[in-house]
Amino acid sequence: TKTMRLRRTKRILECVRSVYTSKIISSDKDLVALVFYGTEQSKNPRNSFKHVYVYHDLDSPGSQRVLDIDKLLGEKGAQFAEKTIGSGETSLGEALWCCSNLYSDIKLRLSHKRLMIFTCRDDPHGGDGAKDRQARTKAADLKETGVVIDLMHLTKPGGFDVSLFFCDIVSPPEDESELGLQIEPCRKLEDLQKRVRAKELKKRSQSRLTFSLGEGVNLAVGVYVLARTATKPSAVKLHRDTNEPVRTKTRYFHAHNGGILLPNDMKRAQVYGKKQIVMEKDEVDEIKKFDDPGLVLMGFKPMDRLKLHHHIRPALFIYPEEEQISGSSCVFTALLLKCSEKNVFALCRYIPRRNTPPRFVALVPQREELDQSQTQATPPGFNVIFLPFADDIRTLDAHVGPTASDEQVDKMKEIVHKLRFKYKSDSFENPVLQQHYRNLEALALNMLEPEPIEDLTMPKVQMMDARLGPLAQEFKDLVYPPDYNPEGKPAAKRKTAESGGGAAEKKPKAEISEEELKNHVANSTLGKLTVPVLKDACKQFGIRTTGTKKQELIDALTMQLSK
Amino acid sequence: MDVGFSMSNSEPGQEPPFEQAKKVIQKFVQRQVFAENKDEVGLVLFGTDGTKNRLAKDGQYENITVHRHLMMPDFELLEEIESELQPGGQQADWLDALVVCMDLLQQETMGKKFERLNIVLLTDLNVQTSADQLDVIINSLKKAGITLQFFLPFPLDGEDRADGGGDGPGPSAASARPGKGLSSQQTQGLEMVKNIMTSLEEEDGLEEVHTFRDALEKLSIFKRIDRRPMAWPCQLTIGSSLTIRIVGYKAVTEEKVKKSWTIVDAQSHQRDDVKRETVYCLNDDDETEVQKDDTIQGFRYGSDIVPFSKVDEDQMKYKSDGKCFSVLGFTKQELIRRHQFMGSQVVKVFAARDDEHAAVALSALIRALDSLKMAAIVRYAYDRRSNPQVGAAFPCIKEKYECLLYVQLPFMEDLRQFTFPMLENNKKFTPSESQLSAADALIDSMMLVEKDEDGESVDVFKVNHIPNPQFQRLFQCLHHRGVNPDDPLPPVEPWLKRALERPQAVSARCQAPLQDVKTKFPLKVVVKKKEQKTSADVFGSSADEPDAKRVKVDEEMEFNLAEIAAGNITSVGSVNPVRDFCALVRQKTVSFDQACQQLTHRIEQLLGNRSPEYYMKSIACIQAFRDQSVSSGNAELFNSYMQSLKRSVPDRNLQEFWDLLIQDALTLISKDEVDGSTISKQDANQFLAFEQKEEVQAAPVQEDTGDVDDLLDMM
Repeated sequence: TKTMRLRRTKRILECVRSVYTSKIISSDKDLVALVFYGTEQSKNPRNSFKHVYVYHDLDSPGSQRVLDIDKLLGEKGAQFAEKTIGSGETSLGEALWCCSNLYSDIKLRLSHKRLMIFTCRDDPHGGDGAKDRQARTKAADLKETGVVIDLMHLTKPGGFDVSLFFCDIVSPPEDESELGLQIEPCRKLEDLQKRVRAKELKKRSQSRLTFSLGEGVNLAVGVYVLARTATKPSAVKLHRDTNEPVRTKTRYFHAHNGGILLPNDMKRAQVYGKKQIVMEKDEVDEIKKFDDPGLVLMGFKPMDRLKLHHHIRPALFIYPEEEQISGSSCVFTALLLKCSEKNVFALCRYIPRRNTPPRFVALVPQREELDQSQTQATPPGFNVIFLPFADDIRTLDAHVGPTASDEQVDKMKEIVHKLRFKYKSDSFENPVLQQHYRNLEALALNMLEPEPIEDLTMPKVQMMDARLGPLAQEFKDLVYPPDYNPEGKPAAKRKTAESGGGAAEKKPKAEISEEELKNHVANSTLGKLTVPVLKDACKQFGIRTTGTKKQELIDALTMQLSK
Repeated sequence: MDVGFSMSNSEPGQEPPFEQAKKVIQKFVQRQVFAENKDEVGLVLFGTDGTKNRLAKDGQYENITVHRHLMMPDFELLEEIESELQPGGQQADWLDALVVCMDLLQQETMGKKFERLNIVLLTDLNVQTSADQLDVIINSLKKAGITLQFFLPFPLDGEDRADGGGDGPGPSAASARPGKGLSSQQTQGLEMVKNIMTSLEEEDGLEEVHTFRDALEKLSIFKRIDRRPMAWPCQLTIGSSLTIRIVGYKAVTEEKVKKSWTIVDAQSHQRDDVKRETVYCLNDDDETEVQKDDTIQGFRYGSDIVPFSKVDEDQMKYKSDGKCFSVLGFTKQELIRRHQFMGSQVVKVFAARDDEHAAVALSALIRALDSLKMAAIVRYAYDRRSNPQVGAAFPCIKEKYECLLYVQLPFMEDLRQFTFPMLENNKKFTPSESQLSAADALIDSMMLVEKDEDGESVDVFKVNHIPNPQFQRLFQCLHHRGVNPDDPLPPVEPWLKRALERPQAVSARCQAPLQDVKTKFPLKVVVKKKEQKTSADVFGSSADEPDAKRVKVDEEMEFNLAEIAAGNITSVGSVNPVRDFCALVRQKTVSFDQACQQLTHRIEQLLGNRSPEYYMKSIACIQAFRDQSVSSGNAELFNSYMQSLKRSVPDRNLQEFWDLLIQDALTLISKDEVDGSTISKQDANQFLAFEQKEEVQAAPVQEDTGDVDDLLDMM
């Protein structure tokens, strides 16, 4: 029926729209085309194919494409589609041929080619053997050139029978022997409709390094980033009038004669103990060089020597690089198995690139794990955990107070028990990023307001309260005296004490006299002044400061005033 | 410091105590200068020829000189010590000197706030002292809360002196004067030192008596960067009604150098002589400059750039409602993977200070979590301006205190789900039994944890006890350059090098197992197939292979000739730079140098866009540049351009582009192609190889997720 057809079309168009909006955010360099087949009208590069309508040419998608899809949606959209595209004879073979031309017209090297067929008809040619054959041949041609063909079919009454025709068209599931991986058999249409607003990154090693076990026993490993704080994509500067992107050029010139300064005309300096110490740029780099890049094995330690709180940076991951040093994978696997069996980690010195000082890292073995659907959940390799140096650990003055009684602890255990859940690392979206992407979408697609986000970082207070019931009050009765208010701000106490001292405490933004400053310089007591006062002082004397760190301001003033 | 004449006495071949003491002082001041804390230092010399101190009167307190009053140490002091500190010809009573120091401290700390007063005495005790005032001195030291440290040329303990073995590593100070006992003054002096130190600190007091040599070893490590922990008061909440007052402190974080380098003029060394200018320009042929005020900000949305001003962005962005530490739920610790810890810090969370109710409540939570092996998942926001985090709070129970350890966990967007080929059941890589046992033996021989005599296991390589070598090296070089401005930089200090190496004992132990691994596992550096193909392609070394690229360019050139006939080309334009360039070279209307210069200008412009289409165009330009250079027999321009291009790759983030060059094997022109080239064929082959640069995070500074330290700088 017509309504059914409309509903199906809508479903598919929504899917396409969501592919577009997801692609735009996840991988905006990908090229996407949208081709309708079985149309009445024809539109393709050389107009050599009948009933094939290239709605969007193979190109990187932008907001216009999403708006184009919107034009086809709804009652009005259906009419518009009927008028411009219409429906007619179906030949999948022609459509595939047209697609193969789209691919070959691209001058760029494509790393990956994928073709998704959206349909609800399991027998598109209605038994026309010649057309079926042509489609099979064209599909085979495409697959030959490295195109992966996926079927995104809608359910239909009586079930969609893939074996009727499409089993010969789609690419077979990836060969198990080749990668040794189990790939999910078929991606669902629903998956596509899930909007994912996250930048997708290609699997690429950050670097390839030598891992030296000592005495010239070297293997090669690739270093990968499996987790890294995702940040907002950086902004582009545009010309206000034309919205044309502008570039920045930075150059250095001499303040007095205006001549352009080349790198050789400049040196680097730091001030310590009132003295300026000058070095060449090369020397500054050389200071950071200790050894060539690589991993050097120091030895092994039991896993319990890896302290939970020794954390300074997100971890990296290493995997052997057979292409650099053959045999690497075998040693690597032997170490991986043995480390994991003996429950030890390897301690290494790590220099990621040239002129970089070393860090020590713990290589923690991680064996491969598969999930229920036989997909890899954790890859085999070593996690690289960065260890802190003495400087990175701060001396704290621990707060020592009374400890809880068993009764109090038991009550808290009940609370913990009520609020337990299964933590999964990918279950929290970053609300800051999600809001940013939605704002962009709203601006690009002329929406009245951005789609609302669900902030998963907020506690579900009502639900928690309901689960706890009277437990919270019971616990409070056990640990807090009746008149105790934990929400009372401790700062209030101090405030009253200060107010006794009079309003004079609130110092007006007094400019500091040159004489006072000189005194401070002479006695080395500039450090007692606050940053705003120091900044004002710098301005007062026309001192240009690149730094905003307190010490840098102090140095600048000291240099100026002790001249 | 004692500069009396006996300090200059020494056995032949031995360093006199004076020199050793001077080094100790130098190292000490160095540390102070680079640590840049606000400690003030004075220097009193005794045994000087002259006398300069407040107490000198009627022949008392003579030959004692206050060389420097109490103030922050600086390079001037270092230079003074280096050049002005000379041995004196007199002897002075070290007890008198102590009194002068006490007086100095008392006079010059008036009106100053301080935490601690300390006097360090460096002397050989080789002078007659009058002990009658000893009790008075000890009492006033106690009253003023002044602590004492002695540095002597010999150890305190006679036995240590005799057998030459202190607890310090290597030859101890005793060997400074082998075979020579102490003078009676020294013996008497030692008794007094013991007397003073035990009266002041009881038994522990003697630990503050050091030898020069030990002190030098310890002081040669620059003070570690020490920052005052900054309290972060907040409330831990569970649901809407359960609140615990807490305070967080950053406990572990990657410490950075406090200062950055400034750029100065190479001649004048003045930073005001260097002006930095950033200009904005359009992507047109003339690179038209645009005023900064005429620019707005935009973001890429697929192929579009959506204008999105700062003001709008601020208004529409996610807003958090201030600092918080709210429990979202509790989970098993084992579900939180160590390698998924994010951020750069660990925060220790205590109950609010002096709030025993909060302490009990938090203790209940910590103990409950500990016994259930669970952790709290919390939303953490440092303050209103900072982005919220999701993190885990682990229980931590120590002998002396309890706290929660907070670590940031990843967001969905932070995770990259890469899959890797399996290793274990892959026939090609499965290690044999003998290979496995070789690996097993290697691990056993290289354990860094050893059992001591009491059966306790001891970690012999504690990374968290090693000072960051970057800072040690930086300060070493800064100090060296500060004192010797014209010298080249010194080599890395041997102790630092040693600290970064595998412990000797482990190295010795693993020799045999390592040899076994070496013989059992065949490891071979792979000669890049790709590179072999490269040389064939580019240099046409194998004659039977058709040179596809050359043919293509030649066709293009013929095509160009037709173009030239049609119109005059006078410069390399941006539309078809390759055609224009080839035309210019043929026509010879401008010099080859100029044509190349115009072409490289276009290439640079194209590369400024950093997008694939422009990359392809740039590659075509480079190909043409290379071809024309080879046919004109001029390799220098091309090679020097390519070398400078390569240098700029990391800074301009052109790695992707460079990869394309590698694919096309567009490398330097070698001797084999052009006679004048200084590049060997092998160098040319290796030229394209590049170390990949770590992805740089371009996180806007003001968006930085709250750091417990941020406020420190503003205080």
